[in-house]
Amino acid sequence: MTLFDVVFSGNDTVYGLTEGAINGAIEKHGADKAIAFPNTAYSLPCYYGVTGTKVATLGELKDALGVVKSLMTREKRLNDAFMSGVATALCAEFIEVLKYMDGAVPYEEPCYGHLADAVIRELGVPLVTGDIPGVAVILGSAPTAQEGVELVKSYQAQGILVTLVGGIIDQCEEMGYKTGANVRVIPLGKDVTSVIHVVSVAVRAALIFGNIQPGDAAGLMKYTFERVPAFVNAFAPLDPVIVACGAGAIALGFPVITNEETFRVPKSLIVQKDVSKFNATSLEARDIKIKITNIDIPVAFASAFEGEIIRRGDMQVEFDGSRVDCCELVHAKEASEIEDHKIEVIGPDIDEMEVGSKNSIAYVVEVAGKNMQADFEPVFERKFHSYLNCIEGVMHTGQRDMIRIRISKDAFAAGFRAKHIGEVLYAKVKSEFAAVVDKCQVKIYTDPAECTKIRHEVATPMFDKRDERLMTLTDEGVEVYYSCIMCQAFSPSHVCVVTPERLGLCGAVSWLDAKATHQLDPEGPCQVITKERIIDERIGEYEDVNEAVRKFSQGALEDVSLYSIIEKPMTSCGCFECICGIEPLSNGVCIANREYAGMTPIGMTFPELASMTGGGVQTPGFMGHGKHFIASKKFMKAEGGVARIVWMPKDLKDQVAERLNETAKEMYGIENFVDMIGDETVAEDPETLLAFLEEKGHPALSMEPMM
Amino acid sequence: MPFTAKSGKFNASINTVEIGSGDKAVKIGGENVLPLYSFDAPIENAPKVGIEITDFGMDNEPDCVKKYYEGCESIADIAKKAASFEGVDFLCFRMEGGDPNGANKSTEELIGALKEVAAAVDLPIVAAGCKNAEKDAELLSKAAEALDGRNAMLLAAKEENYKTVGAAAGLAYKQIVGAESAVDINLAKQLNVLIGQLGVNSKSIVMNVGTAAAGYGFEYVVSTMDRIKAAALSQNDANLQMPIVTPVASETWSVKEAMASEADVPEWGDQEARGIDMEVETAMAVIASGSNAVILKHPTSIATITNLVKELV
Repeated sequence: MTLFDVVFSGNDTVYGLTEGAINGAIEKHGADKAIAFPNTAYSLPCYYGVTGTKVATLGELKDALGVVKSLMTREKRLNDAFMSGVATALCAEFIEVLKYMDGAVPYEEPCYGHLADAVIRELGVPLVTGDIPGVAVILGSAPTAQEGVELVKSYQAQGILVTLVGGIIDQCEEMGYKTGANVRVIPLGKDVTSVIHVVSVAVRAALIFGNIQPGDAAGLMKYTFERVPAFVNAFAPLDPVIVACGAGAIALGFPVITNEETFRVPKSLIVQKDVSKFNATSLEARDIKIKITNIDIPVAFASAFEGEIIRRGDMQVEFDGSRVDCCELVHAKEASEIEDHKIEVIGPDIDEMEVGSKNSIAYVVEVAGKNMQADFEPVFERKFHSYLNCIEGVMHTGQRDMIRIRISKDAFAAGFRAKHIGEVLYAKVKSEFAAVVDKCQVKIYTDPAECTKIRHEVATPMFDKRDERLMTLTDEGVEVYYSCIMCQAFSPSHVCVVTPERLGLCGAVSWLDAKATHQLDPEGPCQVITKERIIDERIGEYEDVNEAVRKFSQGALEDVSLYSIIEKPMTSCGCFECICGIEPLSNGVCIANREYAGMTPIGMTFPELASMTGGGVQTPGFMGHGKHFIASKKFMKAEGGVARIVWMPKDLKDQVAERLNETAKEMYGIENFVDMIGDETVAEDPETLLAFLEEKGHPALSMEPMM
Repeated sequence: MPFTAKSGKFNASINTVEIGSGDKAVKIGGENVLPLYSFDAPIENAPKVGIEITDFGMDNEPDCVKKYYEGCESIADIAKKAASFEGVDFLCFRMEGGDPNGANKSTEELIGALKEVAAAVDLPIVAAGCKNAEKDAELLSKAAEALDGRNAMLLAAKEENYKTVGAAAGLAYKQIVGAESAVDINLAKQLNVLIGQLGVNSKSIVMNVGTAAAGYGFEYVVSTMDRIKAAALSQNDANLQMPIVTPVASETWSVKEAMASEADVPEWGDQEARGIDMEVETAMAVIASGSNAVILKHPTSIATITNLVKELV
């Protein structure tokens, strides 16, 4: 027998039963006899949702059965199986409504049977908000009552709404397990047809919360698939009726997980022999993410502790990457390689370390997700510093393989151990990056040999690869740029266009950051800007970029160039790390960073330059930018590039020297370019600066005039 | 050469949102011109004025407001009285006492009072929360249920609780969802988009884009409203075409210019006059910047604004 045969035969069985029951009822009560589920405006909800026709009498029910019959086509195609599944579900609804004739109360404690509209309005809100992350439908008897209750409990602990049908209800009772709507475990009924009462919830949720028009079957199924995170756990043995019901569930988008060896349909009918893994398998199949509300550690976690300093005397142990091998790493993996929330400590724990000792540590956070990209790894990693510092009694500095962590004696006494570092990283990564992280596990190595291995064989090659990626990431090499309008609250018309070679002028938003921000918060400040219609390659002007800037500045800006300081320069909010301005005498530009308090050869201090540059207006000749942009090959590309830089404060020069020298060498073949650039120790006025530049043979002097 | 005025009407318009049910229902929005520019094209729905009362009854009100409610014994009496003043288009019940950092009244108690208020008047009802996002999620969901069928407005869904408030008010009970953001066009727009993504009809959303008493950082409020109306009309930005409702009373009746007694600052003159001035100035300024409805407290302010609007539109 094929899966089709099983579904069709189950469907036929239920149809036969329904037909018999309806005919029997009509014989007894007549076709005009009224039928309805109590406390709903949508009777019969499933049939009404699918067809748009309300059924109020036995005669109408008989007509409805005719409609159901028309769904029961018998081609061996997926759609036929799904429609037969839907037909089975509708038959179940008909059988159930007959139980409610004459105001009967067919279900007794603990079973609920039909649920009122009011209950759905009440449950619907947390479902929409995600406070109820999913709906489990458990059908049949678990292998043992113990296993059944464990499963129910596991869902309940995650806030998932659990509905029970059949043997599992008795199993819960047998184990004395509390059920009821107030604890979000709802036994529906013991007949398999009572499963329709949860389907009815899904259908009415679509009508009430989804504005789905009754009769719009396709819209209904789309809504239940996308918005009702339900799934079915069906215990062996499965008979054809259950399989046919399962086909109906799948048609609504609800995967079925079973422990019976049966047909497998990828992502829809999943065999999981181990009942203890039903929970994980179901959540993965339905793509349900559980919100993490509290972090399981013995000390407090709050941003108030972020600046806490732990002195040597107060320190239980220390991990020091400058002396021994340490590292921190985020590693994107395949979902199958990760067991969610697994935290492993490999090596001695903190209580096995000598008080005041220096130790090795390497923690690797492995993540997987459908939308995860390796480019996000460093974005997560940079947050570790803040996460670990928020732990009371833990201090973290540095990054990559140059980290140092101190754990205080107080935290240790409170019970803080190595695994708690894992708990914090797990909880924060899962909750803050929920949009891209589906699963996460943490490995904490404290064994010195392991740490050496991880640092040199895993981490270093990854860091190198990332650096290489950053180096090779060019404006030409990517498909899109990103906007950033984070600062519009105080600079209403400013829009940053973030490209790989031109980071945001605040220095805090690189192209990768913007990309991650967009993924994590699709409606947020960073939006995709295409770059398909180039206007002028020299100054970096695109039609698409101009359209985006017009839109995001609400029409205040018409056009911007990416690479020119003279022609349509990009605007600045006010957060610039540096300001660059033209110095006419030397035919070049001076750059001042925010920290620099003195005078520049332009004749203005940083605050004076800032007043010229900020506020989202285009000021040709002035440009705000990030420190990193100074060594970019796109820096003032239209005006000739970094060779135009004639002056920078000494501090800033030191910070960018290495990279700037490299760029100048590559672009012009000039060695030690930074030595040709003036600073405040050389000159604070244009005449002295010019003399210095002439002495050094600065390239700007022989370049074309800028204006 | 004769001067021919050119109409400045736009091809886009602000959404029309109806609040309340029955004869007393009011419509706000719908215009395709800048605020009060009725010379460019007719403004069908003039800005509306609501009156605010709170669950504290008259306990925390200044004497100059109290005197108008003399003889009122219950919250229902207060509501009836409030509804009777000249120019009142709708009634706003602010459940101020729900704030966990304040009186921390229970949701049941406040919803009970809300029901009494709603039963006492047939004006459109606005239920406003206590400003604590977490408590408001609960309060406003229950308020949406309690006001089923009244086509009421809930103030307001914020970034922290928009899912709960939006789902309960906008989906489960089909009320009007207020979307509150803090004086920032992008945040206002983002919240509208997010509430829309929940499935709430964009024609059932109104915005409270934030406000302040005149003189208290008010220029930010004005520029935010200006920019929102400009984007909605000149750029046809559907995510900003929701009408704006601005609760003014709760801002102006807490600043020193309105609250300092004459005994403390005799040189400022009569307290009641000052309070009314603050309220009227702020209300008229936000109407001129684009608010489609304002919520006020003093009967004289309400009458003044109503008459002013009548003259202008």
